Amino acid sequence: MSDTTPTLASGQPQRPRTQLVATGFACAAISMMMAGALGFYMARRHASGPHPGSDWLDGLAVPNPQFDYALLTLVASMITAHWALWASRRRDTAHAWTAIATTLVLGLGFINMVMYSLNRMGVEIGAGEYQNLAFATTGLALAVVVVGLLYLGLMGLRSLGGSVGQQGSTTFGAAVFFWDFAALVWTVTWYTVYVVK
Amino acid sequence: MSENTTASTSPGVPVEDPTPFGWLTTADHKRTGRLFIVCSLLFLVLGAVLDLLVRLDLTSATEFVTLGADGFAQGFAFSREALTLLFLIPAFLGVSMYMVPLQIGASNLAFPRAATASFWTWKISAVVLIGAYLGNGGPYGGWANGVDLHLLALSGLVVALLLGAISVATTIMTMRSPGLYMDETAPFTWSSLVSASMLVVSLPVLLGQIAILYVDHRYGRVFLLGNYGVWERIDWIHRTPQLFIYVVPVLGVAAEIVLATARRKVFEPLAMYFTIGLVGLFGFGAWANFGITGEGADIIDGFEGVVLVALYGGALLGTVGLLGLLGLAIIQNRKLPKISTSLLAAFGAGKLVLVGAFVGLIGAAVDWLEIAGRGNDGNPQLRMTTWVTGQQSVLIYGAGLLGLLAAIHWWAPKIWGRQLNELVGLLNFLVIGTGALLAFAGPTLSGLFTEQPDFVYTDPATTALYANWVDDSGAEGLSAIGAAGVAILIAGAGLLLLNLFISVGLKKGLRADDDPWGAQSPEWMLPSPPPMGEIDELPMLSSGTPLLDSAEAEEVTT
Repeated sequence: MSDTTPTLASGQPQRPRTQLVATGFACAAISMMMAGALGFYMARRHASGPHPGSDWLDGLAVPNPQFDYALLTLVASMITAHWALWASRRRDTAHAWTAIATTLVLGLGFINMVMYSLNRMGVEIGAGEYQNLAFATTGLALAVVVVGLLYLGLMGLRSLGGSVGQQGSTTFGAAVFFWDFAALVWTVTWYTVYVVK
Repeated sequence: MSENTTASTSPGVPVEDPTPFGWLTTADHKRTGRLFIVCSLLFLVLGAVLDLLVRLDLTSATEFVTLGADGFAQGFAFSREALTLLFLIPAFLGVSMYMVPLQIGASNLAFPRAATASFWTWKISAVVLIGAYLGNGGPYGGWANGVDLHLLALSGLVVALLLGAISVATTIMTMRSPGLYMDETAPFTWSSLVSASMLVVSLPVLLGQIAILYVDHRYGRVFLLGNYGVWERIDWIHRTPQLFIYVVPVLGVAAEIVLATARRKVFEPLAMYFTIGLVGLFGFGAWANFGITGEGADIIDGFEGVVLVALYGGALLGTVGLLGLLGLAIIQNRKLPKISTSLLAAFGAGKLVLVGAFVGLIGAAVDWLEIAGRGNDGNPQLRMTTWVTGQQSVLIYGAGLLGLLAAIHWWAPKIWGRQLNELVGLLNFLVIGTGALLAFAGPTLSGLFTEQPDFVYTDPATTALYANWVDDSGAEGLSAIGAAGVAILIAGAGLLLLNLFISVGLKKGLRADDDPWGAQSPEWMLPSPPPMGEIDELPMLSSGTPLLDSAEAEEVTT
């Protein structure tokens, strides 16, 4: 390297928000994954039913109240996640701990409620076209939620493990952003598979 | 491999393990990049050999010569997957992983360990994929669990490539040297960003589809009807226009080498970025191929035809624009550039992207407008004939392999610290170029004149249809031309590996100084090869052509 060339020290982060940008790319990828799966679902629904005289749902009844409560739980967890981010930015550890723990509990509650709803609905894998499609699309959406929950928990712990404040909040903010996105993924999936059917 | 073992000593910077074990746990983008490049070249040989067997099968009007009726379908599917997911995408991802941080003044990739994880996930998934096929799995396979295993391996490959692509794209977005704006980055960096971003938004569509295919195939096969339905739903990732996304880095390589050889900046940088972006953007339409054309061999017409014509037209426009700008740079230089393997291969690769886009446009227009009765009276559309195989050949073998030859010859000094043998390189260019043209011409002409089908999606037994198609129509000879082309290409790939082995492995190549080509982009300011691990001092960049800028400044001063 030329002696006159100005240099930077190694390891010095040139730009902030690396994790946020990567999370954005991951969200774009997941959006397209869900678009592929839900597009497949809609193409099969268009090809196989519902036609007059056919029963696309194969006699299944969607338990709407349970799914609605699940969605409300998810919305509540989004609010608490933002509460945690708000507290983390203000170095309010007590509030941040409480909010993160609440978010994780609500997230687990959401997963539990969806599983309960599917059991109540009687979706049996391999029993029919709708069942297989619903299982696959719902499974993908739930996987996104689980990843979001793990990401949130991990970044929350890191944030509270010392890197609170504006700098640490950037990475935690990326996790909260992903959690919002996971909620959106679930909402679109739920609307397509269980509302429009 | 040549290795400069000067590890970084900066505080907080991970020190690389110089032992072979270090390759497993590396957090150095240079090692990960090299792993991708070398392994993908080995997988190229595998894919090309399978492709050769498939093409040999098509040379007989009465029987399957090599693979047999059962193995033909699996060989066909495996060769396509090997050539794209195991060779073309990872090869250029590897080059990007190595070169991009050096070109933008970053010490490493944004997530170096994620990049390493992407390599090993890709490698393991590739081995599982091979295992699935060897066990009679894969599309059209007779082992049901093997078909599931194939789908899982395919998911692993896609996730791994996505991880790598996100790592590269994030690096370019967030780790550029302060003062180096996006419209000042080197052309290869820009093309890497375009390609990685388009991979991120196109490959996951396959992931979503695989999830459904897996569930249905494993549990009940309610709508898949056996395993015949798998291939037609995943085939789009190996076809155009999706293939354009994979060859976008080739355009970056071509721009990089031509401009450096001509010692010029491009006439209008924004136009160059725009043309490269256009090719990537119009390649994106591929994910909709399945949605547009429906399942199986449906006829495309009306709006679907317009979409496909527009996609190919956009890619053609982008490539023409870029090649025009590069040609202008050479004309502005007012003297012939020094001929080298990398320059010839770069120009050849760029031209073959153009041919691929042109052939795609012609095919889509003929199908859409029903020229020569295409789509009527059982007359197959060109997109269902070996016209498509020709397109794949010109993009994968022609643009892809020639582009990689150019990139390896150009950046070998920076990657391994040695220059490859130039005479062998020129021979290599001729061999690969000839092979690619034959592999392209045979099936393209066969599809056009004899309507030889590209693939029969249904029952494997119906692959016997190939024999019916080639009877008395001249397709036998044209298939043989295509097969000869692939055989020559295998020799070309072998020659490249041999050159690498002798010049780099046996250290017979000339030891390279920092900038052996008199190039202009930032990576040539660093030692050849750069030290292992993170570099202690990075150049502060404000331009993608710092060496050219300083040379011009010196000229003005004197």
